[in-house]
Amino acid sequence: MEEQNLPWIILLLPLLSAVSILLFTRRSGNISALISTGSALITLLLGVVLLRMPDDAVVAAFPWLNLSSNFVVEIGFQIDQLSRGMMFVVTAIGAAVHVFSLAYMKDDEGKARYFAGLSFFMFSMTGIVFANNFVMMFVFWELVGFSSYVLIGHWFEKNSAADAAKKAFLTNRIGDFGFMIGILLVWGLTKSIYFTQIASEVVDEQVLEGVSNGLLMAMVLCVFCGAIGKSAQVPLHVWLPDAMEGPTPVSALIHAATMVAAGVYMLARISFLIPMSAGAGEVIAWIGAITALIAALMALQQDDIKRILAYSTLSQLGYMVMAVGIHAADAAMFHLFTHAFFKALLFLGSGAVIYACHHEQNIWKMGGLAKKMPITFVTFVIGTAALMGLPFVTSGFFSKEAILGAALHGHKALFVIAAFIVLLTAFYMTRLIVVAFLGKDRSDNAAKAKEVPALMWVPLVLLAVPSVVAGYEFFYKGMKLSPMSPAHEGPVNVWLIVISAAMLVFGIGMAFWGYRGESTEPMRLNRIAQVFAHKFYIDEAYAWLIKVFQDGLAAFTNFFDRAVLDGVIARLPAAGAFRLGSVMRRLQSGNLQSYGFLFGLGAVLIIYLVVFK
Amino acid sequence: MPAYYLEIIVVVLGLTVLMVETFVSLRDKRSLGWLAILGLLVVLVLNFTVVETGGEGGNTPFWSFYVMDIPAQWFKGLALLATIFVILMSVDFSRVLSKGICPEVEDDGVDDCAENQVALSEFFALPIFICAGMMWMASAHHLVSIFVALETVTIGFYVIVAFMRRNVGSLEAGVKYLILGALSTGFLVYGFAWLFGVTGEMELGAIADALNAPDVHRTGALFAFALILIALCFKIGAVPFQIWIPDVYQGAPMPVTAFLSVGSKAAGFVILLRLLEPFMASEMLNANVTSVLVIIAAATILFGNLAALPQTNFKRLLAYSSVSHAGFLLMAVASAPAHPGVVSPVAAVSYYLAAYLMMTMLAFLIMNLIRVQRGDENLEAYKGLAKSSPFLAFAMLVAMASLAGVPLTAGFVGKFWVFVLALQEKHYYLVAFGVIGAAAGFYYYLKIVKSMYWDSPADAGSSAAVPVVVAWPTRIAIVLLVVGVFYFGVNPGALLSLFL
Repeated sequence: MEEQNLPWIILLLPLLSAVSILLFTRRSGNISALISTGSALITLLLGVVLLRMPDDAVVAAFPWLNLSSNFVVEIGFQIDQLSRGMMFVVTAIGAAVHVFSLAYMKDDEGKARYFAGLSFFMFSMTGIVFANNFVMMFVFWELVGFSSYVLIGHWFEKNSAADAAKKAFLTNRIGDFGFMIGILLVWGLTKSIYFTQIASEVVDEQVLEGVSNGLLMAMVLCVFCGAIGKSAQVPLHVWLPDAMEGPTPVSALIHAATMVAAGVYMLARISFLIPMSAGAGEVIAWIGAITALIAALMALQQDDIKRILAYSTLSQLGYMVMAVGIHAADAAMFHLFTHAFFKALLFLGSGAVIYACHHEQNIWKMGGLAKKMPITFVTFVIGTAALMGLPFVTSGFFSKEAILGAALHGHKALFVIAAFIVLLTAFYMTRLIVVAFLGKDRSDNAAKAKEVPALMWVPLVLLAVPSVVAGYEFFYKGMKLSPMSPAHEGPVNVWLIVISAAMLVFGIGMAFWGYRGESTEPMRLNRIAQVFAHKFYIDEAYAWLIKVFQDGLAAFTNFFDRAVLDGVIARLPAAGAFRLGSVMRRLQSGNLQSYGFLFGLGAVLIIYLVVFK
Repeated sequence: MPAYYLEIIVVVLGLTVLMVETFVSLRDKRSLGWLAILGLLVVLVLNFTVVETGGEGGNTPFWSFYVMDIPAQWFKGLALLATIFVILMSVDFSRVLSKGICPEVEDDGVDDCAENQVALSEFFALPIFICAGMMWMASAHHLVSIFVALETVTIGFYVIVAFMRRNVGSLEAGVKYLILGALSTGFLVYGFAWLFGVTGEMELGAIADALNAPDVHRTGALFAFALILIALCFKIGAVPFQIWIPDVYQGAPMPVTAFLSVGSKAAGFVILLRLLEPFMASEMLNANVTSVLVIIAAATILFGNLAALPQTNFKRLLAYSSVSHAGFLLMAVASAPAHPGVVSPVAAVSYYLAAYLMMTMLAFLIMNLIRVQRGDENLEAYKGLAKSSPFLAFAMLVAMASLAGVPLTAGFVGKFWVFVLALQEKHYYLVAFGVIGAAAGFYYYLKIVKSMYWDSPADAGSSAAVPVVVAWPTRIAIVLLVVGVFYFGVNPGALLSLFL
């Protein structure tokens, strides 16, 4: 096999799988599942092979839009450490999720559709990772949005799922619109859409010199809008918790590990643009920090196991975005890398719990699962420890320290927030474990739960391994993933570790003593807790805003449409045209003599027009 | 192989189809149709392989009668394709045809006339002769050869329009077409006579030189042009000589209508382009010629589109639609740029006609099936077609979308180039008329889509619920046309590059 073709195969194999499922094996869920899983496993294998591909490898690009000799939009590949590493994450978690789904979706009626959707997602995500230009990235950006829509709405007969799918799609569209404007601005200012070309032009030729800072800031922030939508940052974060209506493996793959991280990945791709504008990085960092903080606060009072994890994802994404904003994109990517494994592990773990409890998602109706599902419990605890950043033994620790370290160097206020989030994270995750896994069962479903089949726990165990070791140097160096690690590994700051460890212990301790043996939420009636539980009423505020503005606008446009467009502009001329047409039709009498007469008249007219005018 | 062999082969093919019956007894005469289609397909392939002058150097007097350039090759291709589709339709149509020819069946119930498929071979052979005429027309470069070729086509049409001699509609259409056609031929010959009188030449190249000379008699030349224009406007169905179109289209047998609307129109335009060239090239005549063409184009677009609005008979509707498309084509013809721009009128017209062939043939192929199997030509028959025959409904949807000019279809690209040309020449009023016409077009084309997809048949449970049977050759033709409409709509360069 030609090495140069490798990325093409990784890109097209999932597409082939999706298309062949839709065209040929739609009737048979099992065959479809095997095709899709097979393609996922092969791409994982190829993704590992890809790690060995040198940086200067040239992959033949396909000229897609040939607009002029000096403007060609390619389906092209940028194979560097960033994309290779991201590709490894996507294919590894993709493969785990496919295998897990085999069991989780065993009896689902739309199994073929589900696996086609997964394959299509893998295709779209691969396109984002490999894209070497903005236009291609945008196209695939939209395609992941579409596949996310399809998969969230997999159980579309359920209204909540259909609504959640719609919400996710529309919210993303808002961000994407900004992204598109951003791309156009970049294109307009730098005259290029290719990342490497823009980077070299910006650095070497200083094409952006003389452009006003306001415009540059608009450019960076508009591009950032894409990340706000896709990575669910404030104020467009509202879609992600609702997206949990989709099947749990989908939440693990798309809404925890890969797609939502695409925003961070894209920011890392274009991180050279951020310092071009004074202040843009600041804005990005604060949006990330605010997202991280309020998401962590919301997570404190959620009862749905998947929603807790969803808010935790939001919070961690906020971390990453914050890191990008303070010019520590490599730290962000490192956290993305470790987070992908342990968050996928946690989601699949929650999927196993939900599966065992007959689709019960409320943690207060679980309890005592530790004894009944030991493997799930142990892996879940490993994932939790990684998420909290348990010092020295988990991957999350290293990446989180990298971000905290960057914040400490750059921005004291952000550091305080970030450290506080460590506490919050420890608190809500401990609460989750104590309530769901310890104590005694609080419902029939929980009482009858038993360990899940091997097809489900094997992916959990396999994901637990990188959740622990992904932060160690031997792992990422061994896999040639060095860009995932922070470049400026300064001396370990002892105070940093002490502070974060103290936060961690404090958070775990509070939650442990607060929730041990409780059978209902003890803080339910607390006013502040209420605000957290209701997600700061942001959804309600949006609904109100939309109601006022959209309904008002709709009423106006409706009036305009009926009275002006339909009445004056459409109906009047239409009626006139109809009249005229009927008159013309009357010329058509069918009488040959009158036809001959008209012919003669016409001839006279033409001769007059040509000769005598 | 010299180019003129093509026409000879076609004529021989026509004679063969006509005479086979004399020597061989055929059980089903429809096989003659397949023979004809096969033969024409071979010629179509040959058309793209012939050497321009066949190694004869083009110096003999013959080559002043006959040219083989890219437009000629192109229009020969169009003529062949149109004929192939028409014969394909005729095969489907043969059942109805015998009803229009045979006397009423007596009580004994045995219908000898229909049983023997009387006159079917003529019905296959005549389009082939007409096709040969059109191919000559594409190459004609001399007033005499133009006239002879044109009459070959026209006389052939007189016969096949009135072919169903026991059908009053067909007969009436034939008579009307004959009388008005003869009238227009009179104008043409008279115009040729004037042109010869003014220039003293019969060959178009020499005429161009003569018209460019400063001492040319201006009024005489314009008069000649007016007479010729009258005749050609009749052929292409431009206002004010479009009056015959709705009646003749409606009365003629379905395949003949399709042939008239595609083949006859394409032939008319090829002659118009050839004859116009010398007049357009002359600076003295240019302004008058252009202005009258603009007026005719605007009137034609307006008439065709507005008169189509209240139609309920599908065939008649397509007749008006063909008038409106003639208007759009004239728009391109009237916009000959002084300097070669993005696209020349010849290229635009050629492209438009190819697109028109595809979408119109698609519509007629389906209409023909509905006519034969449901016995109805009215819009009523299309209600709920999407339920009973989704394939046909989709193909019709594509045809209508393309006729209306929806982007990504060939029809859109055709209109696009026409508008580009007109804007280039600053014919703003004409463009405004074009926009009005195109907008009105959406109404009546989409009316058909609406009745296919949203209306339910008037009487449920009747023939309307039965799927329409599509034989595989027709099915292949429909699929090819649908693909063609999309392909050339997405990739217009594939056709246009020939002319650049």
